[in-house]
Amino acid sequence: MIVKWIDALRNNLKTLVRVLIVYLVAVVVFDAALPRHGHYLIDKIPVYWTLFGAVGCFILIKVAKGIAHLFLAKDEDFYG
Amino acid sequence: MDRWLHPALFYFIGALLLPFFRGKARKAFLLLVPVLSIIDVALMVEGVYGSYHFLNADLVFGRVDKLSLVFAWVFTIMAFLGALYGLHVEEDGHHMAGSFYIGSSLGAIFAGDYLTLFIFWEVMAFSSVFLVWYRREQRSIDAGFRYLLMHVFGGLLFFTGMMLYFFKTGNMVFDQILPANAGLAEYLILAGFALNAAVIPLHAWLPDAYPEATVEGAVLMCAFTTKTAVYVLARGFSGFEVLAILGTAMTVYGVFYAVIENDMRRVLAYHIISQVGYMVAGVGIGTEMAVNGACAHAFAHILYKALLFMGAGAVLYMTGTAKLSKLGGLYKYMPLTMIFYIVGAVSISGFPLFSGFVSKSMIVASAHEEGRLWLMTFMNLAGVGTFLSVGLKVTYFAFFGKESKIQPKEPPGNMLWAMGLTSALCFIIGVYPKALYVLLPFPVEYHPYTLSHVSEYAQILSFTGLVFFLLVGKLAPEDKMNLDMDYAYRKGTRIFMWFDEKVISVVDAFWGELYRRVGLALLFKNARISNGFDRKVIDGVVDGSAVAVRGVGSLVRKLQTGRIQAYIGLSLLMFFLILWLLIKGM
Repeated sequence: MIVKWIDALRNNLKTLVRVLIVYLVAVVVFDAALPRHGHYLIDKIPVYWTLFGAVGCFILIKVAKGIAHLFLAKDEDFYG
Repeated sequence: MDRWLHPALFYFIGALLLPFFRGKARKAFLLLVPVLSIIDVALMVEGVYGSYHFLNADLVFGRVDKLSLVFAWVFTIMAFLGALYGLHVEEDGHHMAGSFYIGSSLGAIFAGDYLTLFIFWEVMAFSSVFLVWYRREQRSIDAGFRYLLMHVFGGLLFFTGMMLYFFKTGNMVFDQILPANAGLAEYLILAGFALNAAVIPLHAWLPDAYPEATVEGAVLMCAFTTKTAVYVLARGFSGFEVLAILGTAMTVYGVFYAVIENDMRRVLAYHIISQVGYMVAGVGIGTEMAVNGACAHAFAHILYKALLFMGAGAVLYMTGTAKLSKLGGLYKYMPLTMIFYIVGAVSISGFPLFSGFVSKSMIVASAHEEGRLWLMTFMNLAGVGTFLSVGLKVTYFAFFGKESKIQPKEPPGNMLWAMGLTSALCFIIGVYPKALYVLLPFPVEYHPYTLSHVSEYAQILSFTGLVFFLLVGKLAPEDKMNLDMDYAYRKGTRIFMWFDEKVISVVDAFWGELYRRVGLALLFKNARISNGFDRKVIDGVVDGSAVAVRGVGSLVRKLQTGRIQAYIGLSLLMFFLILWLLIKGM
């Protein structure tokens, strides 16, 4: 059953992507509409965590993969 | 209940009785032991039990208060889930090692003094290493030895600190230490604790050993060692600024490696460092809310991290590999395992309605409340990395992604049941956080489900997901291993061995030759002279004492048989002595 559902989703990727885009927009609109209260600057900027999530994820992937390729990644039998 | 029964007893006695059971009775017995210990914890009343005066110190086996109880609850629940998951394991020794490990963890959290704590602390290290060795592969045996060496080193730090502390204060009482009063002794103890909590840079033993442990052993190991360390830090070192900073650094460090690792279980192991980082940071921030958060997070984390290790272990058990580069498309063959893994993944990522959301957010919110915005920012960045690595990367490349040729079945029923039950607990805590909050050491005035809070997490998680799918090609797993701090001792020992081989042994050989040629000639000449002196003068004096020495020598020889069974017998005797002390304290 579960497998069928997943296959159905995979066969309708376009619809799935559209639904997800609508969801993302809804998340942003929801936060923008929320009343702001808090002591700090980050509490007052609307959709601050949207930017944080997107930029943070981008930086993490780039930096981690970059450093790994620079010198961290070794062959699996490196230590013998 | 006015009499107190140490829950560790169930595990110690259970381990000794296990070999007498076979078949179904054995399985029932394996599950009965943790059930009894859960009932024991449920009936416990706060107080101090089992104290002895020994060697000028007061030993306390049973300090029962809210802080020790919350850990006892989750340890015994986890013991049950772990036993269920490992029910199919044939080797008695594996179960016995697990039992001693769990029992000594319980011993450590109820210990009221450093000496008792130290004894259980060491038993933990020496019993858990067998869970690595039982994998019976050369890599595991090597990793086990490194694990043991690091823990012995940590134990030595702790022991030295404990002795200095005793000379300084004249007692062994283990209680909250004020940061202002902390000197060398306290910081050595702190370092010993920090090693077990995998605080960077003393963390490398964890991602080195856990992925090499047995499938069932790793599930236990991920729960007890680091969380016992979180308990002792919360007990003794809350409010230490160094922990707030190192803890936050751990959260990011762990996810950084989790993003690039290839082995599923190594991703999860690195991620333990990140998660324990939240707890260590919570302890370091030190407010009531932060320490509550650390305990709540330890509780929630034990369950969902075990769940993730169960899922990854099930994949390893059924396919023979946990390397993402060799997996893919497993949703078709292991759909239930996938669902349970995803429940663990969304719990750890802090999805609303799952346990991570109600525990992790407590620590982050306490950093926010204290105006520690940098700590909060890095913790939330680690939250991004958590969802990215454990949630998205592993799920995508193992269960979806490019299909591999592997077509496994679902794991045995007991494994699925264990995963199902653990999933249920993660969900229950998420929707009914009060069940967890009443167990915490301080009163809770925190409400996780506010609109702005849910919105914050929804944004972070959703847009992490978006960027993941845009950059998924960049994250393709590679057949590589990544250097870490263990480089220092793994390559370092090689340099030492090279130095030993090329320098020390060459000098030694040269010295030996020199001695043989020059030294011996002189010695012989000298010997001839002293021989005469010896025969005429000394013999008369010494003869009498020689007889006495020979007498003592033969007595010692009888004690020291050199037979291994005699030593094991002696160890058992010591073990029963500890057991007797525990029972006497009931």
